[in-house]
Parts: sequence; structure tokens; C-alpha cells
Amino acid sequence: MKTPREILFAHHQNAAPKLDAMRCEVVAGLNHQDTKARSGAVNLVSWCLGGSNKLWLELIWPCRRIWAGLAAIWILIFTVNLSQRDPSEMMAQKTPPSPEMILTFRQQEMLLAELTGQNEPQTAEHPKTFSPRPSSERSIETLMT
Amino acid sequence: MLAVAIAEQLPVQQAREGNPEAWDTLFRRYQLPLYVYVFELAHNEHTSLDIVQEVFIAAARHIGGLRDDEKFGGWLFGIAHQKVIQLWRKHGGKEILFDEIPESADEFEDSPDDLLIRREQEIEFMNLLNQLPLPQRSVLLLHFVEDFSLEEIARITETQIGTVKSRLHYAKRALRKLLEEKK
Repeated sequence: MKTPREILFAHHQNAAPKLDAMRCEVVAGLNHQDTKARSGAVNLVSWCLGGSNKLWLELIWPCRRIWAGLAAIWILIFTVNLSQRDPSEMMAQKTPPSPEMILTFRQQEMLLAELTGQNEPQTAEHPKTFSPRPSSERSIETLMT
Repeated sequence: MLAVAIAEQLPVQQAREGNPEAWDTLFRRYQLPLYVYVFELAHNEHTSLDIVQEVFIAAARHIGGLRDDEKFGGWLFGIAHQKVIQLWRKHGGKEILFDEIPESADEFEDSPDDLLIRREQEIEFMNLLNQLPLPQRSVLLLHFVEDFSLEEIARITETQIGTVKSRLHYAKRALRKLLEEKK
């Protein structure tokens, strides 16, 4: 005695190889779709790598000496620029104007005032320029004034 | 108890994630039951193979529409049923989609195993199955092949549970009667 299910399945068992082949075909199609989706990212990376490789081979490698020379020149310019800029800036920051320079400047200013006819002692009203220096130097300036 | 009645651990979740091996397992599990169902309704080998293939492709494409993983089998048979209906309609078989049977089947045998067929009756059984009206045959096949519940058969065939119940009852009764007559 058999169940209807057993009879039905036995009756159609000869279709199994065709069904297997069809199933493999469908799964292969799914596999292909999956591979295609995955290979999208891989393609992008390989395209970028291929592009950079092409750039290297066609643009940089044939004129490598020129590129190297240009790079060396730029490095030299940069180094020279750095080495020249640093001491001048430091000098400007560190050295205050000397008292002699200030004295000369004041004298020239007074002379200019005489020449233009303004004889009033306006120089006394000029704001004092601030020059940070030791107090010992300030006393000399006061004496000279 | 039928093997199909035992809860199966099918890799539906992996299939949802696009795993081809999971799809292979699922297709392997359902290829013959689907073919039996489609062939017994369409009666053409080439057409049946085409429909099963279309069902597999549609399943892989629309797996997102399946809400419950445990209903995968019923969902697959639902697609197959729709394909068979399309085929019937294409061949102008509108009238055979409906049968006129009263929706009152009080006594309903729950198991497909209650109908056991002797070896000498096997060919007779296949012939008698083909004599049944298509709606009754469809319901009976779903009951025999996968032991689907009434609710599941109703969902697959998109009919009322009462209709499924009565179709199944009359189909089984007709089959039993024919088998007894042939003794």
C-alpha cells in the first residue's frame, strides 16, 4: 500500500534529471548576478589602479629625469626660502632701535619743523615711542634730552 | 506521519541575503513537488518545466515580498498556482477554474494518508485523479503533495477556506468511490 504522495512522486521521478539541470541553470544565473554585483566594487578599484598605472607609465616614467629635476629644484627653492626667512624674522623681532637712531630721528624732525615754520616746541607733545630696553639705557637718554 | 509535516530547517534567511547555495537547497527541496503539482494540472512536460523554472526565478526576484520564512513552501506554490491559472486563461480555460459544489463538508479527513492505494491500483489512481475537475484536483494535489493545511491551500488558491474544505471533501469522496468501483 502506498500513499498518494508516494505514487505521484514515483510517477514523475523520471523528470528529476531535467529538474536538476534546470535548477543548476537558475542557480548559475543567480551566481552570475551575485558575482556581477560583487565585481562592481572590484572593477572600480582595478579601474583606479589601472588608471594610476597608466598615468605612471605614460606621463611620468618616460620623462622621469625631468620630473626628478623639477622636484629637486622645488625642494631647493623651498629649503633656501626657509633658511633665509628665519634669521631675518628673528633679527627683526630681537633687535630694538638704538638710542642714536632715535636721537637722529628727533633731530631731523626738529629741523623739518623749523623749515616749515612751525617753531613751537611741538616735539615735546609727540607721544613717546615705546622702546623696551634696560633701565640703565633710559637714564642716558634722559641726560641727552 | 509524513516527512513534509515535520518542521524543516530551510535556509530561507540565507536565501534572502542572496546566498546561491541556500537557493540551491530550497530549489532542490521543492523542485519535484512543484513539478508534480504543475504537471498534473497542465499535462505537458515542457510547459511544466518552464513554469517551475519561472517560479524559481520569480521566487529569487521577489523573496522580499515573503513575510514569514516558515511559509516559504506555500508562497512558492502560490506563485506556481498563479502561473498555471495564467496558462489556463491563455488557452481560454476560464470555465474550468470554477466548480459548482456546495460549501458544506462536515466530515473532512485531515490526513492525506487516510487514502492508501494498493500497487495494482496505482495507474488507476493517476487516471482517476485526472478525471477530477481542475479546482478539486488542484486542492487535492496540494493536500497530497505537501500536506498543506486548509488555510494554506486557501491562501495558495486564493479561495475561501469553506470552498477548499468542500472541494477536498468531494474530491476525496469521488476518488474513493471510483477506486471502489474499479475493485
